[in-house]
Amino acid sequence: MTVAEWLSVGALALGAAFFFTGTVGLLRFPGTFARLHALTKADNLGLGCVALGLALQADSAWVAAKLALVWGVALVAATVSAHLIARYTLRERGGTGRAPP
Amino acid sequence: MIDRAFDLLLIGGMLGLAVQVVASRALFRSVVLFIALGLLMAVVWARLAAPDLALAEAAIGAGLTGALLLAAYRALQPAGEAGDAEPAALPRRWALVAAVLSGALVAAIGWAVLGLEPPAASAGREALARLGESGVKSPITAVLLSFRAVDTLAEVVVLFAAFLGARVVAEPLGRAGPGPRPDPAGGEPVLMPLLLRVTVPMGVLVAGYLLWSGGHQPGGAFQAGAVLAALGVLLRLTGRLQPVAETSPAERLALVGGIVLFSAIGLAGAGMASAVLAYPEGWAYTLILLIETGLTLAIALPLTLLFSGSAGLRWRGR
Amino acid sequence: MYAVETLDLAIALFLLLNLLAGLGRVHHGPGAADRMLAAMLFGTTTVAVLLLLAEATALPALRDVALLVVLLAAVLVVAFTRTPRREEER
Repeated sequence: MTVAEWLSVGALALGAAFFFTGTVGLLRFPGTFARLHALTKADNLGLGCVALGLALQADSAWVAAKLALVWGVALVAATVSAHLIARYTLRERGGTGRAPP
Repeated sequence: MIDRAFDLLLIGGMLGLAVQVVASRALFRSVVLFIALGLLMAVVWARLAAPDLALAEAAIGAGLTGALLLAAYRALQPAGEAGDAEPAALPRRWALVAAVLSGALVAAIGWAVLGLEPPAASAGREALARLGESGVKSPITAVLLSFRAVDTLAEVVVLFAAFLGARVVAEPLGRAGPGPRPDPAGGEPVLMPLLLRVTVPMGVLVAGYLLWSGGHQPGGAFQAGAVLAALGVLLRLTGRLQPVAETSPAERLALVGGIVLFSAIGLAGAGMASAVLAYPEGWAYTLILLIETGLTLAIALPLTLLFSGSAGLRWRGR
Repeated sequence: MYAVETLDLAIALFLLLNLLAGLGRVHHGPGAADRMLAAMLFGTTTVAVLLLLAEATALPALRDVALLVVLLAAVLVVAFTRTPRREEER
């Protein structure tokens, strides 16, 4: 196997490990905020590693660019989603008055 | 070996999820499981090498239907109640009757399908063999807009009729849809404008890409229309598009334009080409792309308006 | 090259197991937000699985499906958190 393939294997394995961490966090952590914290960070790092590993296998730069695009949009979506769900949970618990609807 | 294991796990997961969606007593649990089912369904289509269906399933099954169910759940939830409301259960004997009847129906259909003779020459093979006559390179688009164009036309008419029907029902109620967001400028999460600035242009780009893709690879009007509809839902929920009681002339044009264009080109085919809904020699690709553009709008707008529960939408920026 | 494609599928299999394990959170809840978190896990994992399948089975169109899922994930969360309740506006 070539160097790029070894790197790709490493990135994919690392990505799978991050996904596993995220799922364990979602299942085992106490409280919504802790679970939110575990999931949104670990999973998107995992997706980034998987995308990197696949980009190293890709035949063309276009494929690599599309993988980067998917990851970029995923990052924005995950950031905003985490923000929205955290606010929702805060408001649901009758939280502080500082979180307007 | 490993792909067999993947497929078996996928099948097992699908069946388990399907049972859970129906059997779960908590309403919100069913909603989330339904979204998971839609996502897994997209993976199933991917495994069956049907990316067109995977695209449609991801956009409509998981995306639009998921958003519709979530919004409906939220809108119905009483304000003081934080927990997961249990739905009123059907009495056990009626549930049993329904289960036995639907089980018998499934068994009867299964029996009938198993009894069918496999056709010697399937229409799919003939469509693949005569792909060159259609003017496009994607076999799916060739079937949808050339070989079986009449089905596609009827489907869009059905969608339009569904929209009209929903309007007739919703009008006297006066309270369909998620209700207007009073003021997008005040009290909005700080990251929401960022999300819209990324998602909306990206979504329009992806819709255009899918529309153009339809000619030579998986994609087409239905997928592009579903993406635009999802963007409409996003803008509607964030108050950028406000529901109004009047359908504007531009909206009317978009609602019926695709159908009128498709029918007009189809009827012209009777004179200029061999038959109704046939395309003149050499013009097929151009006309198909034109029709698909019209259909994209004719699919996106009714879906957005059905979600919105209003007759029209008006832009209201910040 | 065969070995790398098998590895892609193996990772996809592992991620699918992960996804199904996440169903435990949907089951236990306790709140709607926790279940919504599980839905986000399904979304991200499905994207990774689709990207891996695109490479392993040589179906480039699956990357478009992944892009679509990523775009729509945010719409779901907005539909969940930003829909006003009935009492608020009527």
